[in-house]
Amino acid sequence: MKLFKNRTFLLFLPVAIFLMIPFYGFIHAVIQSLGGEGLAHYEEILSSERFLSSVWFSVRTAGIATLVSIILGLGFTKFFHPLLTNISPRLMVWIPMLFPHFVWGYMVILMLSETGWLPQILAAAGWLETPSNFPVWTRDPEGIGIIITYVWKEVPLVILLLFPVYASIRPEYYALVDSLGGNAWHRFTTVDLPHLLPVLVETFLIIFSFTLAAYEVPALIGTTFPEMISVLGYEWFYGSSWDDRPLAFAAMVMTSLFLLGLTLMSYYGLSRPRWRAMRGDRQ
Amino acid sequence: MTQTKLEMKNITKTFNQDTILNDLTFHLEKGEIMSIVGPSGSGKTTLLRILAGLEKPTEGEIIMNGKEITKQKANRRSISLVFQQPLLFPHMTVKENIDYGAKVSKKYKAEKIESLLEATGMARFRDHYPSEISGGQQQRTALARAMATEPEVILFDEPFSSLDPSLRQDLRYWVRDFLASRETTAVFVTHDMEEAMIMGDQIAVFENGKFQQIGTVETLHQSPANMRVASFLGGHLILNDHEFVPLHAVQLGSQKTSENGVSFHASVEHITYQHGRPIVHLYIRELEKKISLPINESLPKQEVQVTIPCDSIKTFSGEIL
Amino acid sequence: MILRKAFFLILILLFFVIPLTALLLQSLSAPWRFHTGQGIDWGWQGYSTLFENPQLWEATFISIWIGFAVLFINVTLGLFTGKALASYPYRGKAWLEALLLSPILIPSLAIAMGLHLFMIRIGLADTFWGVLLIHLVPTVPYSIKIFHNSYQQIGKTMMEQPHILGAGFWTQVFTVELPLLKPAIRSLTFLTIVISLSQYAITALIGGGRVLTLPLVFFPFLENANTSIMAAFSIWFALIPVFMYIIIESLMMFLPYSRLPWRNHR
Repeated sequence: MKLFKNRTFLLFLPVAIFLMIPFYGFIHAVIQSLGGEGLAHYEEILSSERFLSSVWFSVRTAGIATLVSIILGLGFTKFFHPLLTNISPRLMVWIPMLFPHFVWGYMVILMLSETGWLPQILAAAGWLETPSNFPVWTRDPEGIGIIITYVWKEVPLVILLLFPVYASIRPEYYALVDSLGGNAWHRFTTVDLPHLLPVLVETFLIIFSFTLAAYEVPALIGTTFPEMISVLGYEWFYGSSWDDRPLAFAAMVMTSLFLLGLTLMSYYGLSRPRWRAMRGDRQ
Repeated sequence: MTQTKLEMKNITKTFNQDTILNDLTFHLEKGEIMSIVGPSGSGKTTLLRILAGLEKPTEGEIIMNGKEITKQKANRRSISLVFQQPLLFPHMTVKENIDYGAKVSKKYKAEKIESLLEATGMARFRDHYPSEISGGQQQRTALARAMATEPEVILFDEPFSSLDPSLRQDLRYWVRDFLASRETTAVFVTHDMEEAMIMGDQIAVFENGKFQQIGTVETLHQSPANMRVASFLGGHLILNDHEFVPLHAVQLGSQKTSENGVSFHASVEHITYQHGRPIVHLYIRELEKKISLPINESLPKQEVQVTIPCDSIKTFSGEIL
Repeated sequence: MILRKAFFLILILLFFVIPLTALLLQSLSAPWRFHTGQGIDWGWQGYSTLFENPQLWEATFISIWIGFAVLFINVTLGLFTGKALASYPYRGKAWLEALLLSPILIPSLAIAMGLHLFMIRIGLADTFWGVLLIHLVPTVPYSIKIFHNSYQQIGKTMMEQPHILGAGFWTQVFTVELPLLKPAIRSLTFLTIVISLSQYAITALIGGGRVLTLPLVFFPFLENANTSIMAAFSIWFALIPVFMYIIIESLMMFLPYSRLPWRNHR
């Protein structure tokens, strides 16, 4: 094969070595989830009420957080991208990106918990009788705190990823749609969407996989029931009995397979020539 | 005494079953400049990239100073390539860009850089960044940068095509004199016949992956090898696959002007002016050919008769060299 | 346009600037009790209590070292891979990109759990190096993406110039590529360091609690520290990437052909 003759191979060598880390880890997770007992552990967790409600809660919470982040980020970028060309507004938008997720989660607790700043201010202003009348938005069973934290943290990321796309759309295209008699909706679907779609799909995948399986934020701002899948997996892994470990592996492997399936589907969709052309790939 | 500087033998390049270069052979003497002219997209750039070492030929060999260099990498060849775009390093000043060429090829001499800056007229702009100078200045800097490596051969890939016409004209002569004064061997690729004639001692007409003919301007005009060459030159009326007439032998009139000749009916499409003379553009329906001829006075008629004296009809030489 | 600008400013202030300012103010004052009608009680107690904790300093140094090491490996991997991706057109490039992105799509917790036994076996569990390796997983895909985009922007033909002029591989990297990649390195610095600082679960798993990074100190702190101390700790988290950015920015001045602020060319 020609690939192995030239410099390309050498350039790809370091990353190939790096990829062995996650792949080895993943394959071993699969092996340990089987534990020599076939699919027994999978059957066990799939019949566990705790696991199933955790799956539903995770997918729902992560899904809402991801979609809301993308919609808000897209709206913000579409509406304000000319203002973002200056460096200082851009830096201000990036502020949440300076903090780890769990620190921003703590910030949400500081602000919105029953003793937080916002309830205090509302009470001091006389809008609430006592701060405890404020709705429970942190450590709540609906996952509102988790969603708020993720949306707040991920909207800047969405803006960061979409801004270059918007900056590269030539305004002539909009003029063209206008001259052909199109309205704002046409402009969005014929100019914005084709440019954005590959980036949007990728952004969705990145944020959704992260929010679905990250441990830190739900551990900080979530409740014990229902719990996010990662929290459950972590508990099973470090639980009192070692017997639960294969369950942890099974839970995490299933999450991974779900995400990988989702990724494959999206990339299959995006690899069609129409989208490839829009990504600007020549080959 | 002349010596062969650069030689290309039976170079073939295929890409996904398409033959881009088909068995190309030529050689250049020291100090000689060859223009390669051909339509856009005919693979001229690939030819240069192979000479420079950026791509490998599928078959054939390249020989420089009698040594085979086919497998040598681009950075080890004493060959420089000037692109269509100046491609200066944006983070370096004009002088740093020129220095760079000299330094990486380990041929740095302060005086040389100074003389290059002077020669290209960039001395005044030595501390400017590429974004602060004009397109022509950028291209001159790119040339100086390429020259600073003291290449034995320098290749040009349509270096003037991104410049505006008046600037292009000046720069052509300037580069030509510059190369001549340094006795640099050069290959100059263009799709513009006029540019090819200005720049090259020899002209190679390149089409369909092959050299259709290599020769001086005179040879090309006097005995074009085939139809392709003739139609590219635009100085002949092609009668059929093997016969042509130089345009200067073509006579115009309302009737057939010579008894001993062939005559065609032609319609006048346009009259334009060039170099102060009217030029008539004719369409000969019978041959499905368009020709342009200078005329002395305006032709009032829509229809004219084109006469070709029999003794001026020639056959294509068929010889590539 | 003026309305749009006003709206933009309100949003930015409300959601980004005011929260940060409030956090800063809280870190400089005793916990707030507005509803009881109390005012703000200024002071450095938040920071002084935080810095009295010896674990904090240890964790800070370890986090910074891990951050630099992760960044260094990321830049190296990103450079090679981004360059390879940008300069060679392949069929199935979309699939290759998906493969390279996959480490951030597979949950890092799953990967860390899977690697745990292996790390114990080869003696990397509970060590700096083990934690360093696992921190590469959620960062490297981003670096590859950023560098790939930058190389594409610089352009294939620009990358051929140094080669034609006679530069070797490393000369080209240091004189042309790295200087032109500076903006990418800046983004990468923030991104990798913040991601590295965000890892509690996988650090605890592979480091076994013995490699003390800042998140490992932060979580237990939540139990008993007051809001001033926690606000100070939160600010501390944001200061570390800024500090490391300053170091990287000054290091980048040593790259060839840097325009130094104090040196005027003309």
